[in-house]
Amino acid sequence: MNIFNILSDIEKIDGDAAEKFNYSRRKMLKTTSVAAATSGLFFAGVLNKAYGQSNTITDVLNFALVLEYLEAEFYMKGMNSSLNFGADRGLINEIAKHEAQHVAFLKSALGASAVAKPEFDFTAKGAFPNPYTNYPVFLTLAQAFEDTGVRAYKGQAPNLASNRDILEAALRIHSVEARHAGEIRIIRSMSAYASEMNTGGVPAAIYARENNTTHVAGVDIVALSQPKLLFQNNASQMRAMKFAQDSFDEPLTKEEVLAIAGPFIK
Amino acid sequence: MEKSTISETKAKGPTVPSIPSAERRLFLRHLGIFAASTTSFLMACSKSLDLSPTGGSMAHSGARVNADGSIDLGAGDIGILNYAYALEQLETAFYTVAQEKTAGLTFNELQILQEIREHELVHREFFRAVLGANAIPDLDFDFSTVNFNDRNNVFQVANILESTGVGAYNGAARYIKNADIIGIAGKIVSVEARHASVTGHMYLPLPGSTYSFGFGTTDSNGLDIVYKPSEVLPVAQGFIKQKLSGANLPTTNA
Repeated sequence: MNIFNILSDIEKIDGDAAEKFNYSRRKMLKTTSVAAATSGLFFAGVLNKAYGQSNTITDVLNFALVLEYLEAEFYMKGMNSSLNFGADRGLINEIAKHEAQHVAFLKSALGASAVAKPEFDFTAKGAFPNPYTNYPVFLTLAQAFEDTGVRAYKGQAPNLASNRDILEAALRIHSVEARHAGEIRIIRSMSAYASEMNTGGVPAAIYARENNTTHVAGVDIVALSQPKLLFQNNASQMRAMKFAQDSFDEPLTKEEVLAIAGPFIK
Repeated sequence: MEKSTISETKAKGPTVPSIPSAERRLFLRHLGIFAASTTSFLMACSKSLDLSPTGGSMAHSGARVNADGSIDLGAGDIGILNYAYALEQLETAFYTVAQEKTAGLTFNELQILQEIREHELVHREFFRAVLGANAIPDLDFDFSTVNFNDRNNVFQVANILESTGVGAYNGAARYIKNADIIGIAGKIVSVEARHASVTGHMYLPLPGSTYSFGFGTTDSNGLDIVYKPSEVLPVAQGFIKQKLSGANLPTTNA
Protein backbone atom coordinates (compact mmCIF):
# COMPACT_ATOMS: atom_id res chain seq x y z
CA MET A 1 0.00 0.00 0.00
CA ASN A 2 1.35 3.38 -0.99
CA ILE A 3 0.19 4.99 2.20
CA PHE A 4 2.90 3.13 4.03
CA ASN A 5 5.66 4.60 1.90
CA ILE A 6 6.40 7.21 4.46
CA LEU A 7 6.88 4.57 7.11
CA SER A 8 9.02 2.34 4.95
CA ASP A 9 11.15 5.35 4.10
CA ILE A 10 11.81 5.88 7.76
CA GLU A 11 12.53 2.20 8.17
CA LYS A 12 15.16 2.40 5.46
CA ILE A 13 16.94 5.07 7.43
CA ASP A 14 16.31 3.70 10.88
CA GLY A 15 16.83 -0.03 10.60
CA ASP A 16 14.93 -1.04 13.72
CA ALA A 17 12.02 1.25 13.12
CA ALA A 18 9.77 -1.45 11.74
CA GLU A 19 8.58 -2.47 15.13
CA LYS A 20 7.87 1.11 16.11
CA PHE A 21 5.21 1.43 13.52
CA ASN A 22 3.33 -1.72 14.22
CA TYR A 23 1.38 0.15 16.80
CA SER A 24 0.72 3.00 14.43
CA ARG A 25 -0.42 0.70 11.67
CA ARG A 26 -2.80 -1.20 13.90
CA LYS A 27 -4.13 2.03 15.24
CA MET A 28 -4.56 3.42 11.77
CA LEU A 29 -6.65 0.49 10.66
CA LYS A 30 -8.95 1.23 13.52
CA THR A 31 -9.12 4.97 13.05
CA THR A 32 -9.17 5.61 9.32
CA SER A 33 -12.90 5.22 9.19
CA VAL A 34 -13.16 8.46 11.14
CA ALA A 35 -13.25 10.83 8.25
CA ALA A 36 -14.17 14.15 9.86
CA ALA A 37 -13.47 15.88 6.58
CA THR A 38 -14.56 19.44 6.94
CA SER A 39 -11.93 22.01 6.15
CA GLY A 40 -9.99 19.74 3.85
CA LEU A 41 -12.97 18.35 2.03
CA PHE A 42 -12.21 20.28 -1.09
CA PHE A 43 -8.65 19.09 -1.08
CA ALA A 44 -9.73 15.56 -0.42
CA GLY A 45 -11.71 15.69 -3.62
CA VAL A 46 -8.80 17.15 -5.50
CA LEU A 47 -6.52 14.56 -4.02
CA ASN A 48 -8.71 11.65 -4.99
CA LYS A 49 -8.57 12.83 -8.56
CA ALA A 50 -4.81 13.22 -8.40
CA TYR A 51 -4.45 9.87 -6.73
CA GLY A 52 -5.62 8.09 -9.81
CA GLN A 53 -2.69 9.57 -11.73
CA SER A 54 0.06 9.38 -9.18
CA ASN A 55 0.65 8.63 -5.56
CA THR A 56 3.40 11.22 -5.29
CA ILE A 57 1.12 13.86 -3.83
CA THR A 58 -0.31 11.48 -1.25
CA ASP A 59 3.19 10.49 -0.21
CA VAL A 60 4.27 14.11 0.13
CA LEU A 61 1.22 15.04 2.18
CA ASN A 62 1.69 12.05 4.47
CA PHE A 63 5.34 13.02 4.89
CA ALA A 64 4.15 16.50 5.85
CA LEU A 65 1.54 15.04 8.17
CA VAL A 66 4.13 13.09 10.14
CA LEU A 67 6.10 16.31 10.68
CA GLU A 68 2.97 18.18 11.71
CA TYR A 69 1.99 15.39 14.12
CA LEU A 70 5.42 15.79 15.66
CA GLU A 71 5.21 19.56 15.96
CA ALA A 72 1.62 19.59 17.19
CA GLU A 73 2.25 17.05 19.92
CA PHE A 74 5.51 18.73 20.89
CA TYR A 75 3.80 22.07 21.51
CA MET A 76 0.65 20.58 23.02
CA LYS A 77 2.71 18.72 25.59
CA GLY A 78 4.58 21.93 26.26
CA MET A 79 1.44 23.94 26.85
CA ASN A 80 0.20 21.23 29.20
CA SER A 81 3.50 21.06 31.08
CA SER A 82 4.66 23.18 33.99
CA LEU A 83 7.14 25.08 31.81
CA ASN A 84 7.22 28.77 32.62
CA PHE A 85 6.78 30.51 29.26
CA GLY A 86 6.58 33.94 30.82
CA ALA A 87 5.68 36.59 28.26
CA ASP A 88 6.11 34.04 25.45
CA ARG A 89 3.08 31.97 26.43
CA GLY A 90 0.70 33.66 24.01
CA LEU A 91 3.11 33.24 21.14
CA ILE A 92 3.89 29.58 21.85
CA ASN A 93 0.19 28.87 22.26
CA GLU A 94 -0.50 30.46 18.87
CA ILE A 95 2.18 28.31 17.26
CA ALA A 96 0.70 25.23 18.97
CA LYS A 97 -2.70 26.14 17.55
CA HIS A 98 -1.30 26.48 14.02
CA GLU A 99 0.38 23.08 14.18
CA ALA A 100 -2.83 21.43 15.36
CA GLN A 101 -4.64 23.15 12.50
CA HIS A 102 -2.07 21.83 10.04
CA VAL A 103 -2.60 18.30 11.32
CA ALA A 104 -6.36 18.62 10.99
CA PHE A 105 -6.05 20.13 7.53
CA LEU A 106 -3.70 17.47 6.17
CA LYS A 107 -5.70 14.65 7.72
CA SER A 108 -8.91 15.82 6.17
CA ALA A 109 -7.19 16.41 2.84
CA LEU A 110 -5.78 12.89 2.89
CA GLY A 111 -8.97 11.30 4.20
CA ALA A 112 -8.60 7.55 4.44
CA SER A 113 -5.05 7.79 3.06
CA ALA A 114 -3.75 9.65 6.09
CA VAL A 115 -1.10 7.85 8.10
CA ALA A 116 -1.73 7.45 11.82
CA LYS A 117 0.20 9.46 14.34
CA PRO A 118 3.42 7.77 15.42
CA GLU A 119 4.55 7.76 19.04
CA PHE A 120 7.12 10.43 19.75
CA ASP A 121 10.11 10.70 22.06
CA PHE A 122 10.95 14.38 22.41
CA THR A 123 14.12 13.62 24.30
CA ALA A 124 15.45 12.01 21.11
CA LYS A 125 16.59 9.00 23.10
CA GLY A 126 18.03 11.23 25.80
CA ALA A 127 19.86 13.74 23.62
CA PHE A 128 17.50 16.48 24.86
CA PRO A 129 16.77 15.10 28.32
CA ASN A 130 14.29 17.58 29.76
CA PRO A 131 12.32 19.57 27.19
CA TYR A 132 9.29 19.88 29.47
CA THR A 133 11.08 21.09 32.57
CA ASN A 134 13.76 23.23 30.93
CA TYR A 135 12.44 26.05 28.78
CA PRO A 136 15.68 26.69 26.86
CA VAL A 137 15.73 23.02 25.84
CA PHE A 138 12.11 23.29 24.74
CA LEU A 139 13.00 26.33 22.62
CA THR A 140 16.02 24.58 21.13
CA LEU A 141 13.77 21.75 19.97
CA ALA A 142 11.15 24.21 18.74
CA GLN A 143 13.77 25.86 16.55
CA ALA A 144 14.94 22.47 15.31
CA PHE A 145 11.42 21.40 14.35
CA GLU A 146 10.42 24.69 12.76
CA ASP A 147 13.52 25.11 10.63
CA THR A 148 13.37 21.46 9.62
CA GLY A 149 9.71 21.92 8.71
CA VAL A 150 10.49 24.94 6.55
CA ARG A 151 13.18 23.04 4.69
CA ALA A 152 11.04 19.91 4.38
CA TYR A 153 8.09 21.68 2.73
CA LYS A 154 10.47 23.63 0.53
CA GLY A 155 12.06 20.44 -0.70
CA GLN A 156 8.71 18.92 -1.60
CA ALA A 157 7.12 21.95 -3.28
CA PRO A 158 8.33 21.11 -6.81
CA ASN A 159 6.90 17.59 -6.34
CA LEU A 160 3.45 19.09 -5.91
CA ALA A 161 3.54 21.04 -9.18
CA SER A 162 1.09 18.62 -10.79
CA ASN A 163 -1.65 19.92 -8.53
CA ARG A 164 -1.63 23.67 -8.06
CA ASP A 165 -4.25 23.84 -5.33
CA ILE A 166 -2.27 21.44 -3.18
CA LEU A 167 1.00 23.17 -4.06
CA GLU A 168 -0.45 26.47 -2.91
CA ALA A 169 -1.81 25.00 0.33
CA ALA A 170 1.58 23.44 1.09
CA LEU A 171 3.35 26.72 0.44
CA ARG A 172 0.92 28.48 2.74
CA ILE A 173 1.87 26.04 5.50
CA HIS A 174 5.53 26.45 4.58
CA SER A 175 5.53 30.21 5.15
CA VAL A 176 3.71 29.82 8.46
CA GLU A 177 6.47 27.45 9.58
CA ALA A 178 9.00 30.08 8.51
CA ARG A 179 7.20 32.72 10.57
CA HIS A 180 7.34 30.31 13.51
CA ALA A 181 11.04 29.70 12.95
CA GLY A 182 11.66 33.44 12.92
CA GLU A 183 9.65 33.93 16.11
CA ILE A 184 11.36 31.10 18.00
CA ARG A 185 14.79 32.32 16.92
CA ILE A 186 14.00 35.83 18.13
CA ILE A 187 12.86 34.46 21.48
CA ARG A 188 16.17 32.62 21.66
CA SER A 189 18.16 35.80 20.94
CA MET A 190 19.28 34.21 17.68
CA SER A 191 19.41 35.71 14.24
CA ALA A 192 16.02 35.08 12.64
CA TYR A 193 17.79 33.72 9.56
CA ALA A 194 18.95 30.14 9.13
CA SER A 195 22.67 29.60 8.88
CA GLU A 196 25.20 26.81 9.03
CA MET A 197 27.44 28.97 11.19
CA ASN A 198 25.25 29.53 14.22
CA THR A 199 22.98 26.56 14.76
CA GLY A 200 21.92 27.36 18.31
CA GLY A 201 22.56 23.87 19.63
CA VAL A 202 20.34 21.93 17.25
CA PRO A 203 21.71 19.01 15.23
CA ALA A 204 23.97 20.36 12.48
CA ALA A 205 22.17 18.25 9.86
CA ILE A 206 19.23 20.63 10.13
CA TYR A 207 21.30 23.37 8.47
CA ALA A 208 23.24 21.27 6.00
CA ARG A 209 23.86 23.22 2.75
CA GLU A 210 22.07 26.27 4.17
CA ASN A 211 25.02 28.44 3.12
CA ASN A 212 24.51 27.71 -0.56
CA THR A 213 24.59 30.86 -2.67
CA THR A 214 24.13 29.36 -6.14
CA HIS A 215 20.50 29.09 -7.16
CA VAL A 216 20.82 29.46 -10.90
CA ALA A 217 24.05 28.50 -12.61
CA GLY A 218 26.02 31.56 -13.64
CA VAL A 219 24.17 33.97 -11.35
CA ASP A 220 26.66 34.96 -8.65
CA ILE A 221 24.52 36.79 -6.09
CA VAL A 222 27.54 37.54 -3.89
CA ALA A 223 29.41 39.36 -6.64
CA LEU A 224 26.24 41.07 -7.89
CA SER A 225 25.20 42.43 -4.51
CA GLN A 226 28.56 43.29 -3.02
CA PRO A 227 29.11 46.62 -4.84
CA LYS A 228 25.60 47.73 -3.86
CA LEU A 229 25.77 47.04 -0.11
CA LEU A 230 25.12 50.00 2.16
CA PHE A 231 28.66 50.01 3.47
CA GLN A 232 31.74 49.48 1.36
CA ASN A 233 34.86 48.46 3.24
CA ASN A 234 37.36 45.61 3.51
CA ALA A 235 34.68 43.39 4.96
CA SER A 236 32.22 43.92 2.09
CA GLN A 237 33.01 40.63 0.46
CA MET A 238 32.39 38.68 3.66
CA ARG A 239 29.27 40.65 4.39
CA ALA A 240 27.96 40.08 0.89
CA MET A 241 28.56 36.36 1.38
CA LYS A 242 26.67 36.37 4.68
CA PHE A 243 23.73 38.32 3.29
CA ALA A 244 23.59 36.10 0.23
CA GLN A 245 23.52 33.00 2.43
CA ASP A 246 20.85 34.40 4.73
CA SER A 247 18.58 35.77 2.03
CA PHE A 248 17.77 32.34 0.58
CA ASP A 249 16.58 29.37 2.62
CA GLU A 250 17.50 25.97 1.27
CA PRO A 251 15.47 22.77 0.86
CA LEU A 252 16.13 19.40 2.48
CA THR A 253 15.37 16.10 0.82
CA LYS A 254 12.80 13.78 2.31
CA GLU A 255 15.57 11.39 3.31
CA GLU A 256 17.47 14.14 5.10
CA VAL A 257 14.36 15.22 6.98
CA LEU A 258 13.51 11.69 8.03
CA ALA A 259 17.06 11.19 9.29
CA ILE A 260 16.61 14.31 11.44
CA ALA A 261 13.14 13.34 12.65
CA GLY A 262 13.96 9.66 13.18
CA PRO A 263 15.38 9.94 16.73
CA PHE A 264 12.19 11.71 17.82
CA ILE A 265 9.94 8.89 16.62
CA LYS A 266 9.52 5.89 18.92
CA MET B 1 -12.37 44.00 -1.73
CA GLU B 2 -9.22 41.98 -1.68
CA LYS B 3 -7.23 45.14 -1.34
CA SER B 4 -9.16 46.00 1.76
CA THR B 5 -7.85 42.82 3.34
CA ILE B 6 -4.40 44.31 3.17
CA SER B 7 -5.39 47.73 4.38
CA GLU B 8 -7.37 46.16 7.17
CA THR B 9 -4.18 44.56 8.34
CA LYS B 10 -2.61 47.97 8.37
CA ALA B 11 -5.46 49.52 10.30
CA LYS B 12 -5.09 47.12 13.21
CA GLY B 13 -1.68 48.36 14.19
CA PRO B 14 -0.98 50.16 17.41
CA THR B 15 -0.58 53.88 17.18
CA VAL B 16 1.51 54.39 20.29
CA PRO B 17 5.18 53.74 19.70
CA SER B 18 6.82 51.83 22.48
CA ILE B 19 10.04 50.05 23.13
CA PRO B 20 9.68 46.43 22.13
CA SER B 21 10.66 43.79 24.62
CA ALA B 22 11.99 41.78 21.74
CA GLU B 23 14.50 44.48 21.03
CA ARG B 24 16.60 43.38 23.94
CA ARG B 25 16.73 39.95 22.43
CA LEU B 26 17.43 41.09 18.94
CA PHE B 27 20.20 43.28 20.24
CA LEU B 28 22.05 40.21 21.36
CA ARG B 29 22.02 38.49 18.05
CA HIS B 30 24.91 38.56 15.70
CA LEU B 31 25.07 40.64 12.57
CA GLY B 32 27.54 41.33 9.89
CA ILE B 33 30.98 39.84 9.88
CA PHE B 34 31.38 36.14 9.56
CA ALA B 35 34.09 33.87 8.37
CA ALA B 36 33.32 33.15 4.78
CA SER B 37 32.62 29.50 4.31
CA THR B 38 34.20 27.89 1.33
CA THR B 39 31.74 25.04 1.30
CA SER B 40 29.11 27.05 -0.48
CA PHE B 41 31.46 27.43 -3.40
CA LEU B 42 31.55 23.70 -3.70
CA MET B 43 27.82 23.42 -4.11
CA ALA B 44 27.23 22.83 -7.75
CA CYS B 45 23.60 21.96 -7.46
CA SER B 46 22.04 24.46 -9.80
CA LYS B 47 21.39 24.38 -13.47
CA SER B 48 20.71 27.27 -15.75
CA LEU B 49 17.16 28.46 -16.04
CA ASP B 50 15.24 28.10 -19.25
CA LEU B 51 12.89 31.04 -19.52
CA SER B 52 11.72 30.49 -23.04
CA PRO B 53 9.23 30.16 -24.44
CA THR B 54 6.61 31.31 -22.00
CA GLY B 55 3.26 33.01 -22.15
CA GLY B 56 0.24 32.59 -24.33
CA SER B 57 0.23 32.40 -28.08
CA MET B 58 -0.54 36.07 -28.62
CA ALA B 59 1.23 37.56 -25.62
CA HIS B 60 4.82 38.65 -25.72
CA SER B 61 7.02 37.16 -23.03
CA GLY B 62 9.27 39.95 -21.87
CA ALA B 63 8.60 43.25 -20.23
CA ARG B 64 8.07 46.34 -22.34
CA VAL B 65 7.03 49.93 -21.99
CA ASN B 66 3.54 50.50 -23.36
CA ALA B 67 2.53 53.46 -25.51
CA ASP B 68 0.97 55.16 -22.47
CA GLY B 69 4.24 54.90 -20.59
CA SER B 70 3.14 52.07 -18.32
CA ILE B 71 5.49 49.17 -17.75
CA ASP B 72 4.16 45.78 -18.77
CA LEU B 73 5.53 43.02 -16.56
CA GLY B 74 5.24 40.50 -19.37
CA ALA B 75 3.68 37.06 -19.64
CA GLY B 76 4.26 33.53 -18.40
CA ASP B 77 7.17 32.77 -16.12
CA ILE B 78 8.95 35.94 -17.22
CA GLY B 79 5.94 37.96 -16.16
CA ILE B 80 5.88 36.31 -12.75
CA LEU B 81 9.62 36.84 -12.34
CA ASN B 82 9.20 40.52 -13.23
CA TYR B 83 6.35 40.72 -10.73
CA ALA B 84 8.68 39.37 -8.04
CA TYR B 85 11.47 41.64 -9.30
CA ALA B 86 9.22 44.69 -8.97
CA LEU B 87 8.32 43.72 -5.39
CA GLU B 88 11.95 43.16 -4.48
CA GLN B 89 12.85 46.54 -6.00
CA LEU B 90 10.14 48.08 -3.85
CA GLU B 91 11.32 46.38 -0.67
CA THR B 92 14.96 47.26 -1.29
CA ALA B 93 14.06 50.90 -1.92
CA PHE B 94 11.84 51.08 1.13
CA TYR B 95 14.51 49.79 3.51
CA THR B 96 17.19 51.91 1.85
CA VAL B 97 15.13 55.01 2.62
CA ALA B 98 13.95 53.75 6.01
CA GLN B 99 17.44 53.06 7.35
CA GLU B 100 18.48 56.53 6.26
CA LYS B 101 15.45 58.59 7.21
CA THR B 102 13.72 57.00 10.18
CA ALA B 103 14.05 59.26 13.17
CA GLY B 104 14.99 58.09 16.62
CA LEU B 105 16.07 54.56 15.78
CA THR B 106 18.17 52.73 18.28
CA PHE B 107 21.40 51.24 16.96
CA ASN B 108 19.76 47.83 17.08
CA GLU B 109 16.69 48.93 15.13
CA LEU B 110 18.93 50.50 12.53
CA GLN B 111 20.85 47.27 12.16
CA ILE B 112 17.62 45.31 11.74
CA LEU B 113 16.48 47.56 8.90
CA GLN B 114 19.90 47.50 7.28
CA GLU B 115 20.15 43.73 7.44
CA ILE B 116 16.75 43.25 5.82
CA ARG B 117 17.67 45.87 3.20
CA GLU B 118 20.69 43.82 2.19
CA HIS B 119 18.59 40.64 1.91
CA GLU B 120 16.11 42.40 -0.34
CA LEU B 121 19.00 43.77 -2.37
CA VAL B 122 20.28 40.23 -2.93
CA HIS B 123 16.80 39.17 -4.06
CA ARG B 124 16.56 42.15 -6.38
CA GLU B 125 19.96 41.53 -7.95
CA PHE B 126 19.13 37.85 -8.33
CA PHE B 127 15.94 38.52 -10.30
CA ARG B 128 17.60 41.23 -12.36
CA ALA B 129 20.32 38.80 -13.41
CA VAL B 130 17.96 35.90 -14.06
CA LEU B 131 15.68 38.05 -16.20
CA GLY B 132 18.49 39.69 -18.17
CA ALA B 133 17.08 41.44 -21.22
CA ASN B 134 13.54 40.49 -20.14
CA ALA B 135 13.73 42.55 -16.96
CA ILE B 136 11.57 45.61 -16.38
CA PRO B 137 13.54 48.86 -15.95
CA ASP B 138 14.64 50.25 -12.60
CA LEU B 139 11.56 51.65 -10.89
CA ASP B 140 11.23 54.96 -9.04
CA PHE B 141 9.52 55.14 -5.68
CA ASP B 142 7.49 57.53 -3.57
CA PHE B 143 7.38 56.83 0.15
CA SER B 144 5.77 60.13 1.10
CA THR B 145 2.89 58.24 2.75
CA VAL B 146 5.28 56.77 5.30
CA ASN B 147 5.94 58.76 8.46
CA PHE B 148 9.65 58.34 8.93
CA ASN B 149 9.42 60.36 12.12
CA ASP B 150 7.48 57.49 13.68
CA ARG B 151 9.56 54.33 14.00
CA ASN B 152 6.43 52.32 14.70
CA ASN B 153 4.90 53.42 11.41
CA VAL B 154 8.09 52.43 9.63
CA PHE B 155 8.04 48.92 11.13
CA GLN B 156 4.32 48.71 10.45
CA VAL B 157 4.83 49.47 6.77
CA ALA B 158 7.77 47.06 6.72
CA ASN B 159 5.59 44.35 8.23
CA ILE B 160 2.86 44.97 5.68
CA LEU B 161 5.36 44.84 2.83
CA GLU B 162 6.80 41.58 4.14
CA SER B 163 3.46 39.88 4.68
CA THR B 164 2.25 41.13 1.31
CA GLY B 165 5.42 39.66 -0.16
CA VAL B 166 4.70 36.33 1.51
CA GLY B 167 1.15 36.35 0.17
CA ALA B 168 2.40 37.36 -3.28
CA TYR B 169 4.91 34.51 -3.53
CA ASN B 170 2.40 32.04 -2.11
CA GLY B 171 -0.16 33.16 -4.66
CA ALA B 172 2.21 33.25 -7.63
CA ALA B 173 3.30 29.63 -7.41
CA ARG B 174 0.25 28.27 -9.20
CA TYR B 175 1.15 30.31 -12.28
CA ILE B 176 4.79 29.23 -12.56
CA LYS B 177 5.55 26.68 -15.26
CA ASN B 178 9.18 25.94 -14.53
CA ALA B 179 9.50 23.74 -11.42
CA ASP B 180 12.98 25.15 -10.76
CA ILE B 181 11.44 28.60 -10.40
CA ILE B 182 8.85 27.19 -7.98
CA GLY B 183 11.75 25.87 -5.92
CA ILE B 184 13.57 29.21 -6.01
CA ALA B 185 10.45 31.13 -5.04
CA GLY B 186 10.20 28.77 -2.07
CA LYS B 187 13.75 29.67 -1.04
CA ILE B 188 12.88 33.35 -0.99
CA VAL B 189 9.37 33.35 0.48
CA SER B 190 10.45 31.78 3.75
CA VAL B 191 13.03 34.52 4.23
CA GLU B 192 10.30 37.10 3.62
CA ALA B 193 8.27 35.28 6.28
CA ARG B 194 11.21 35.56 8.69
CA HIS B 195 11.36 39.27 7.89
CA ALA B 196 7.65 39.47 8.67
CA SER B 197 8.33 37.94 12.09
CA VAL B 198 11.18 40.34 12.79
CA THR B 199 9.32 43.46 11.69
CA GLY B 200 6.23 42.22 13.52
CA HIS B 201 8.23 42.02 16.70
CA MET B 202 9.45 45.54 16.25
CA TYR B 203 6.06 46.93 15.37
CA LEU B 204 3.77 45.20 17.78
CA PRO B 205 5.72 45.03 20.99
CA LEU B 206 2.86 44.49 23.37
CA PRO B 207 3.78 42.33 26.36
CA GLY B 208 2.24 38.89 26.15
CA SER B 209 1.01 39.53 22.65
CA THR B 210 1.34 37.01 19.89
CA TYR B 211 3.52 39.44 18.00
CA SER B 212 3.19 39.20 14.27
CA PHE B 213 0.51 36.54 14.61
CA GLY B 214 -1.78 39.23 15.87
CA PHE B 215 -2.47 40.38 12.35
CA GLY B 216 -4.58 37.56 11.11
CA THR B 217 -2.06 36.20 8.66
CA THR B 218 -3.33 32.65 9.00
CA ASP B 219 -6.78 31.25 8.42
CA SER B 220 -8.64 28.63 10.45
CA ASN B 221 -6.65 25.89 8.72
CA GLY B 222 -3.37 27.44 9.80
CA LEU B 223 -2.63 28.49 6.21
CA ASP B 224 -0.80 31.74 5.50
CA ILE B 225 -2.16 34.58 3.41
CA VAL B 226 -2.23 34.22 -0.35
CA TYR B 227 -2.67 37.03 -2.84
CA LYS B 228 -3.16 37.14 -6.56
CA PRO B 229 -1.03 39.61 -8.55
CA SER B 230 -4.19 41.61 -9.16
CA GLU B 231 -4.50 42.09 -5.40
CA VAL B 232 -0.85 42.91 -4.76
CA LEU B 233 -0.12 45.25 -7.65
CA PRO B 234 -2.53 48.02 -6.54
CA VAL B 235 -0.89 47.99 -3.09
CA ALA B 236 2.62 48.11 -4.56
CA GLN B 237 1.54 50.74 -7.04
CA GLY B 238 0.92 53.09 -4.13
CA PHE B 239 4.69 53.37 -3.74
CA ILE B 240 5.78 53.12 -7.38
CA LYS B 241 5.93 56.17 -9.63
CA GLN B 242 5.71 54.36 -12.95
CA LYS B 243 2.44 52.66 -13.79
CA LEU B 244 2.82 48.88 -13.71
CA SER B 245 0.64 46.63 -15.82
CA GLY B 246 0.05 43.00 -14.97
CA ALA B 247 -2.37 42.63 -17.87
CA ASN B 248 -0.37 39.83 -19.44
CA LEU B 249 0.43 37.92 -16.26
CA PRO B 250 -0.93 34.39 -16.21
CA THR B 251 -4.36 33.96 -14.64
CA THR B 252 -4.74 30.21 -15.01
CA ASN B 253 -2.74 27.41 -13.40
CA ALA B 254 0.50 26.56 -15.17
